[in-house]
Amino acid sequence: MRQYLRRFYARRANVYGLILVLGFILVAVAAPVLSPLDEKDPGPYKQIGRFTDMEPHPPSRKSPLGTLPGQLDIYHSIVWGTHNAIQFGLLVTLTAFLFGVVYGAFSGYLGGAANNFLIRLADVFLVIPVIVATVMIRQLIGYVINLAGGVYYFDMQLRQMVADFTNVPSSYVVLLTRIDPLLISLVLLTWMPYARVTNTLVVTLRQSEFIQASRALGGGSFWVVFRHLIPNCISPTLVLAARDVGSAVIMQATFTFIGLAGNSPWGALLSFGRDWIIAPGGNILKYWWLFLPPTIVVILFGVAWNMLGDGINDLLDPRI
Amino acid sequence: MPPLLKFLIHRLLFAAVSLILITFVLYAGSNIMPPEARAALYMSNSKRELTEEQRQRLIDVIIQSHRLEDPLVVQYVSWLGTLTSGSWGYSPVLHENVLPSLLRRTPVTLELALYSLLLMVPLGFSSGLIAGWWPHRTFDKFFRSLAYVATSTPPFILSIIMLSVFYVSLGWFLPGRLDTLTSIEVSRDPFVQYTGMLTVDSLLNGRPDIFLTYLRHLTMPIFTLSLFHWATLGRVTRVTVMAEKSKAYLMAARARGVSSRKLLWHHAARAILAPSLTTIGLAAANIVTGIFVVEIIFDLNGVSEVIVLAMRDIPDAAATMGFAVYSVVMVLGLMVGIDLLQAFLDPRVREEVMRA
Repeated sequence: MRQYLRRFYARRANVYGLILVLGFILVAVAAPVLSPLDEKDPGPYKQIGRFTDMEPHPPSRKSPLGTLPGQLDIYHSIVWGTHNAIQFGLLVTLTAFLFGVVYGAFSGYLGGAANNFLIRLADVFLVIPVIVATVMIRQLIGYVINLAGGVYYFDMQLRQMVADFTNVPSSYVVLLTRIDPLLISLVLLTWMPYARVTNTLVVTLRQSEFIQASRALGGGSFWVVFRHLIPNCISPTLVLAARDVGSAVIMQATFTFIGLAGNSPWGALLSFGRDWIIAPGGNILKYWWLFLPPTIVVILFGVAWNMLGDGINDLLDPRI
Repeated sequence: MPPLLKFLIHRLLFAAVSLILITFVLYAGSNIMPPEARAALYMSNSKRELTEEQRQRLIDVIIQSHRLEDPLVVQYVSWLGTLTSGSWGYSPVLHENVLPSLLRRTPVTLELALYSLLLMVPLGFSSGLIAGWWPHRTFDKFFRSLAYVATSTPPFILSIIMLSVFYVSLGWFLPGRLDTLTSIEVSRDPFVQYTGMLTVDSLLNGRPDIFLTYLRHLTMPIFTLSLFHWATLGRVTRVTVMAEKSKAYLMAARARGVSSRKLLWHHAARAILAPSLTTIGLAAANIVTGIFVVEIIFDLNGVSEVIVLAMRDIPDAAATMGFAVYSVVMVLGLMVGIDLLQAFLDPRVREEVMRA
């Protein structure tokens, strides 16, 4: 174990990545302490002045990172955006990871024509563009909410998916409105690499002696797959998983910024301040606090998880 | 049968099967609702003010005439039939049929994708070659740090930076497709739209001024699209060159006294080009599927405009479905094209695929 860790520590970027990721997780967990929620209106956006004041104010003691037009605190949104990003990234990646690994392992265990078919089926998902999947899912959720007597749309002011009901909906429907359509579509479109990688390993492993021994001792297929095959092939997929956390969150911020789906406060910050930066007459240097904090956080988040992925690669890859 | 033709048929078959699978999943997804709810989508807005009884009768008629109560597979097959005959349905949001409105917006998207590729492939390939051939020199260090910045900046943030610097501050480049005056001029009579691609049309019409104006609008999106893939291609090429450098045939040539520069451009580059087509193909597919970000931020009315409009007010099933099928067909076509090109250039790939 120690020599593995030494390989990890040998590269400075790995350590930085680990520290950054831990820092993000810490901020996400400590969000209620770092920036308490507004009791009247809990959420990632907090009003700290008159909402009619449309001029963004620079950082002050009251708002450490300045305010958006409409006096929303940027610091508060950055902190709760981290909370949201960690939640979203881990949820997407873990779901895709679990599904992909189990799919790949079972398909490899079956082997032969069945395996060939299942892997081809996974390849088919590679062709679907993320925008298509997101919009289709969004429409599906919209239909269900329509049937329950509500309207489902992306609110350009709040920068998130909103469902309005005329009646009181059942709790299942309420749960559905809480789910980001992007979450489902990203899970649907990111599980394939896990399946492929696991599959290749399982196919090479499944004729090995310890698997045959387990089967000869009466181990059923579930036992063999979950107890022996998956634990032995899981490590290479961890590298993929670490990188996916970052890219899922960047995708969410992108979708929020262009206003199609996704509930990322980071992306929303940029789109709220957009007119003061990139519209005619805007000035990125004068209103730097509208641009810099969310940008730095989004880029750092992506870089951190990438570095961690490289680090895990160093940790596991014996060739170096 | 010649192997290349066999290969083509093999790839086309796979693409067709994928297409059928995907469209079936998409179609089934949009058909989860009961027939009554789907029939309501066929009614135009004015007819929603009917009495309950009339409305019920109308819905029954629609269900009958569109056969909405048939089994899913039957409905799917008949839907495929209408799709191939070119009627992709009427979109209430776009106020026109879906297929023509998609086709009308295709040239812009095509231009973006094409020019990004034309910019990214030669630059990425050559900078990767130089960086990998003389590693740890100044150029290599410069390339690696730039590539690192390029891959870690999300496209939408790059677009914000570009807009604020080159549009708001310097005023060199502009968002949007064309300014109002020029777009009127382009749509009017003496100007003939041969291809719909304005870069080509303006030159064919002998109007270099329009060409230059249009270029001012295209520069930022193309740069944004190609930067990330330039870095990825460069990195992959760099690693490949570094591995290729120690191969025996290069050492033999070096021993014969071939200069290092000639060795790189005449010997190594040629050997690496075919394998890096895989990366180029992946980049091309990524450019096409990720083009919507740039189209929306820079306000270009490309194909993605259909989906944005379809999402704005009431959900528009025909437009959404049409866009989905259209983009899947585009990506599949692109993949077959790249595979074919690769097989054409590299006989090793051909044999590998045939064996699988």
